Amino acid sequence: MNPDISADSIEHGVRETNRRVKIIRPPSFSPLGLLSNIVLLAQYRDLLLTLSAHRVKVRYKQSVLGLFWAILQPLSLMLIYTVIFSLIAKMPSEGAPYAVFSYVALLPWTYFSTCVTNSASGLVSHSQLVTKVYFPREILPLSYVIAALFDFLVASTVLAGLLVYYHVGLTVKALYALPIILVLTMFATSVAFVLSATQVRFRDIGLAMPLLLQLWMFASPVVYPLNSVPASFRTLYLLNPMAGLIENFRRVILMGTAPDFYSLSISTLIAVILLPATYIYFKHVEATVADII
Amino acid sequence: MTIDLKFEHVSKKYRVRQRGEEDGKRHPLMRKLQSLRSRTEDFWALRDVSFEVRSGEALGIIGHNGAGKSTILKLLSSITAPTTGEIMINGRLSALIEVGSGFHPELTGRENIYLNGAILGMTRRQISARLDSIVDFAGVRQFLETPVKRYSSGMYVRLGFSIAAHLDPDILLLDEVLAVGDAAFQEKCLQRIAEVKHAGTTIVFISHDLAAVERLCDRVILLQRGQIVTIGTAREVIAQYETALSPIKTTQRDETLANQEKLAEVRALSFQDSSAHAATVLHTGAPFVARLDFFAHADLSDVVFELFFYSAEGEQQCQFTTEVSGAPIHLKRGAGAIEFSGSGLGLMPGTYYTDIVIKPRGTPKFYDWTQYNFTALRVAPGKLVRGKFYVPHEWRLIQDDEGDKSEEAEAVMNRVGS
Repeated sequence: MNPDISADSIEHGVRETNRRVKIIRPPSFSPLGLLSNIVLLAQYRDLLLTLSAHRVKVRYKQSVLGLFWAILQPLSLMLIYTVIFSLIAKMPSEGAPYAVFSYVALLPWTYFSTCVTNSASGLVSHSQLVTKVYFPREILPLSYVIAALFDFLVASTVLAGLLVYYHVGLTVKALYALPIILVLTMFATSVAFVLSATQVRFRDIGLAMPLLLQLWMFASPVVYPLNSVPASFRTLYLLNPMAGLIENFRRVILMGTAPDFYSLSISTLIAVILLPATYIYFKHVEATVADII
Repeated sequence: MTIDLKFEHVSKKYRVRQRGEEDGKRHPLMRKLQSLRSRTEDFWALRDVSFEVRSGEALGIIGHNGAGKSTILKLLSSITAPTTGEIMINGRLSALIEVGSGFHPELTGRENIYLNGAILGMTRRQISARLDSIVDFAGVRQFLETPVKRYSSGMYVRLGFSIAAHLDPDILLLDEVLAVGDAAFQEKCLQRIAEVKHAGTTIVFISHDLAAVERLCDRVILLQRGQIVTIGTAREVIAQYETALSPIKTTQRDETLANQEKLAEVRALSFQDSSAHAATVLHTGAPFVARLDFFAHADLSDVVFELFFYSAEGEQQCQFTTEVSGAPIHLKRGAGAIEFSGSGLGLMPGTYYTDIVIKPRGTPKFYDWTQYNFTALRVAPGKLVRGKFYVPHEWRLIQDDEGDKSEEAEAVMNRVGS
């Protein structure tokens, strides 16, 4: 759908002068369409924020532990993996205590997997809304991404606690975490666009999610360091954008060194290409989503 | 006059997936893969539809289920895209479709107002400015901080409508919204829509409720199988729709039709209101007379007359019959009429289709049957009552203290009541 332009900012009394003409045509691909879609999305920013806040509120409204749930998932995984991989399997952890070594990776990983799991069914679970009211549909997956980012921030407090407990000092390089999280968000959004749009036609996506994410986690350096991946295999390994992102997040926070720009730029390049491409795909599906959902 | 909405040769095609013939020998997965290679059939929900709506005008769209009414609404509100053609919209458009569909049960009334308002395209600032007005219109001020899952269905619907009614768009789309709530609230909604229209908002109204369409709309489009049959004034088009209302036929009816022996036939059906003048519109709760003119081709003994009322959706609403009361009717050859009358019409406002049967008592045969498409009756709001139908009733006041005074009061109240 390519609405050439759409109007907003109607206030009482000024409607005659403020009108804009909108033309609706059959769906077609065009770079200009992408731009006008972003303009339209910006006009609906209040809906995006309201809906994201609503996700967070609803999730914790009737639960006793409330926000603690955001912490519980990475925390319990950290405990399990510490027992299995550190105490039993003696996994190397580059000199750091295994608990903090794994938690610092589980934090961005949980953010990614929460984004992807929740947003993949974002369109399907709102079918009754999607067939009744128009708003830019990308708001649905995006609101899950923002809610997951909120959980990420809450769970980060535990990381701070662990760092203090194990006497790990942050260096100024920790600021690299911000662009890393930005790239991670872009990549998670791309995956969310593809999966949510595809699930409209194939509900298999939702069923495959837990398995897919399990495999994906073990294909990323979450419970083991990147170093333990054989060097000959590493280029292929780094084509998984999550590999470069998680490894570098750990480096800048835990090791206090600069990121490995080679692996980080591969992840960034993939995310930068994927985001507009998946957005165009999503908008293409959106034009007829109400017909098939 | 500026044009606010324009459809130019708009068509909409849906793909309906066809099930391929099942080949039991194949592996289930192969069959699944085969079905993915889209065996689809095209269904044109709209075909080459063109029309314009002028600024400030109220346009009604009527037609049977599946005529393409909802598709027009979905195209206008950008829910789905046209297959061919072009749609021009001048100004901000809001749709009031199935109110309350965006509510979340766990959130409070206030939170839902913000959420639903945002879904409908309002900014936070706009919602805050209208919050009081929305809450008062819905009458839920005490329950603003209560989760909506604790609301009664009436409150739910009122809040949903109230949010949507405060959108303040240039163009408003309405879809069967008046089919919700009780009569008093429906009336309030219609008034609100009339206000919105008076303020210069362009309205597109899609409904089965022909009485409401006629009351609200300047012009009406009649759709049939995805194409425009007529565009004209509300009165003209509704009249055409009512006469063209095609009979609903089932095989069962065709079989029973074989039992027909046309010894008597229906000539006309007419209605009179309280003023004893012929009327095409009756009022809920008001006195009425339904007169049925017939012609008997022979002397007939123990004849039964039945008059049925159906809703626009084809659902039987009520029946007048001579079968269960009074003396048996014996007809002499020639013309005659039978009158059904009552002190208060029970039907709620809307359009009804009548069906008449003349038959001998106690046999499956009948002399005449008008087959569901005889005349349409419009019922307009008279006494405003809540519920599904009106029952004529009287009342009196009983108070224990000072017997003589209460009798007096009773007598006075009774006069006022009737």
